Amino acid sequence: MTDATNGTTTTNKLRTTRFRVPAVLFSYRTEVAIAAAIVVLLLAVGMFVPAALSMGNLQNIIQAAAPLIIMSLGVLLVVVTGGIDLSVGSVFSLTGMVTALAMASGADGLTASAAGLAVGLVFGSINGLLVTVVGLAPFVVTLITYAVAGSLAFIVTNGRSMPIGAPDFWLLNSGEIIPGIPNHLLFCIVLMVALEYVLRKVVVGRWFYAVGSSAIAARLLGIPVLRIKFAAYVASSLLASFAGLLTVSYILNAEATAGASLMLQAIAAVVIGGASLFGGTGSAIGAVLGALMITCIQNGVNLIGVNSFWQGSVTGAAILLAVLIDRFSNKNRI
Amino acid sequence: MKMKTILLAALAAAALSSASYAEDKKTVAYIAPSLDISYWQWVGYGVKEKAKELGMDYVEYTSENSPAKQMDNARTAVTKGVSAIVIGPVSSTSTPPLLDYLAKQKVPIAFAGIGPQPGLTNYTSSVTANNYETGKAQAKFTCELAKERGSKKVGMLSLPQDRENAQKYLKGAKEAFAAAGCDLVQMLETRGLTISEAVTQANDLLTANPDIKAIYGMYDEAGTGAAKVVETRGLNGKIGITVADGSPTTIALLKKGAIQGIFFQEAVGQGIDGTQQVYNALTGAPVTQDMALVMPLVTADKVDSPEAKKVIARVFPPSN
Repeated sequence: MTDATNGTTTTNKLRTTRFRVPAVLFSYRTEVAIAAAIVVLLLAVGMFVPAALSMGNLQNIIQAAAPLIIMSLGVLLVVVTGGIDLSVGSVFSLTGMVTALAMASGADGLTASAAGLAVGLVFGSINGLLVTVVGLAPFVVTLITYAVAGSLAFIVTNGRSMPIGAPDFWLLNSGEIIPGIPNHLLFCIVLMVALEYVLRKVVVGRWFYAVGSSAIAARLLGIPVLRIKFAAYVASSLLASFAGLLTVSYILNAEATAGASLMLQAIAAVVIGGASLFGGTGSAIGAVLGALMITCIQNGVNLIGVNSFWQGSVTGAAILLAVLIDRFSNKNRI
Repeated sequence: MKMKTILLAALAAAALSSASYAEDKKTVAYIAPSLDISYWQWVGYGVKEKAKELGMDYVEYTSENSPAKQMDNARTAVTKGVSAIVIGPVSSTSTPPLLDYLAKQKVPIAFAGIGPQPGLTNYTSSVTANNYETGKAQAKFTCELAKERGSKKVGMLSLPQDRENAQKYLKGAKEAFAAAGCDLVQMLETRGLTISEAVTQANDLLTANPDIKAIYGMYDEAGTGAAKVVETRGLNGKIGITVADGSPTTIALLKKGAIQGIFFQEAVGQGIDGTQQVYNALTGAPVTQDMALVMPLVTADKVDSPEAKKVIARVFPPSN
């Protein structure tokens, strides 16, 4: 019994009024379960490799997770509206290549970054227009832009990886706007809090859930369905571009294949975080935790020395577990 | 009637002249497993340049890592009338049906980078890197770097071990580590062959084994990733890094002292040598069936020497 306007349940609302603190925890039960699973995972890995629990390793995990977190937040918006965005990995790669190419052509870091973000804006707009105005299926549209952006990532530099020349560009990822907090972490926190607030507390944010629950009902309620969907695709591509910029800033190198594996990981993160691919549910906190879960699995597998080919199986098991937890918790509520 | 006869004669002459030109002008087809990867672009550059030098035309195809597409490409090339093929196969195991087909068509074929399935002999030439010997040499050098830094512990960032060349590298490396008295404490295999992944893996490698004093990078991105991590952790010079393959990025790191040695895989050279071998087969000149090229080591102090420049010219095109 899903409430179309905010993705929570009527039962949930009743609980909120009676017991405020437990109700908040209850409404985030999937997220709490994932957070607990991450802690258990870290502790389990720590039993084999104590350094897994060191501050240095936790920083490594956050650094490795940051691009995936940001990309997942964008994908979440699309998934909440009942769509899918397969183009994010290619947009991520193309952004890096365009940014590096702009720098190689003499542009400063800011201009090159703007050029990189323009990739996201253009591809997001194309996705949004084809889905909303032309009425094509999101899967087909983003499959096309996935192929085109992926191809362009090779074309712009003839497939060569590009080093970053601007000496201060590393500051975007590893600098500290707030002392003690590296920028990649700051960006993740700010984006997660902002998105969670908008989705939960702002009317426009609730429209995303309404569109995902039932586009027809949303239209009858006067919600601008097409504009909401368009905004979701633009935001998704822009965040994928931003994630690409952060990665290029971190490794100071752009590669045409950099985002190849990230698209599926981002979708997996969103699903692990409690979103339904049918739309109408999901949270920013859940997507962030899903991305952290995937990164922790990769980190644990590496630290313990398990063959990395097992990562896919372990991630698949985590998704299955998350979906089952979500399914049974919903069943119990009803 | 007279006009018609003249026209027919002209057409026949044109056809004959075109056929005779096609017979003289040979074409070499380069079939790459995937042109997404710089390495295979560089092999293609070698094929193209050598073809130009030998007066041959050049066409290229990409198999997109699919054995079926690879077979289709070979058939298309033969249908188009190419004289010879230089191929970087999708895998060694994908080659038997391809070789059977080309043997029937009497089209010479040279392998570059990855050889045919062991046991097969119906190919013109196979030009590959000597992965086993390189694995040994790189491990010996990596072990020396570790010992210079006060430890016998080394780590490895490996290619996926389902690849035959990776298995050969590892076999040679393990033997050399054992002989030199070094411990390979952990090996992590790549999946995506990206620098980002190598950074993550190098971080994890050093977190799990902080006493590692040298890292063996089996592919180019591994060296770049490891160098990034060592620099970020403030361990420059305290952990030695060696890498196989070589690229403009890793050469820059070598010059900076962030990497101590590169074992260059001569991608352009493999294309050049493969093309020369199929040309020899077409012209009746002697052919060398198996060429396992040694991957030469270049260290930071020698990177600007004429010998090193000669090696690098056979690794990637000058435009890179």
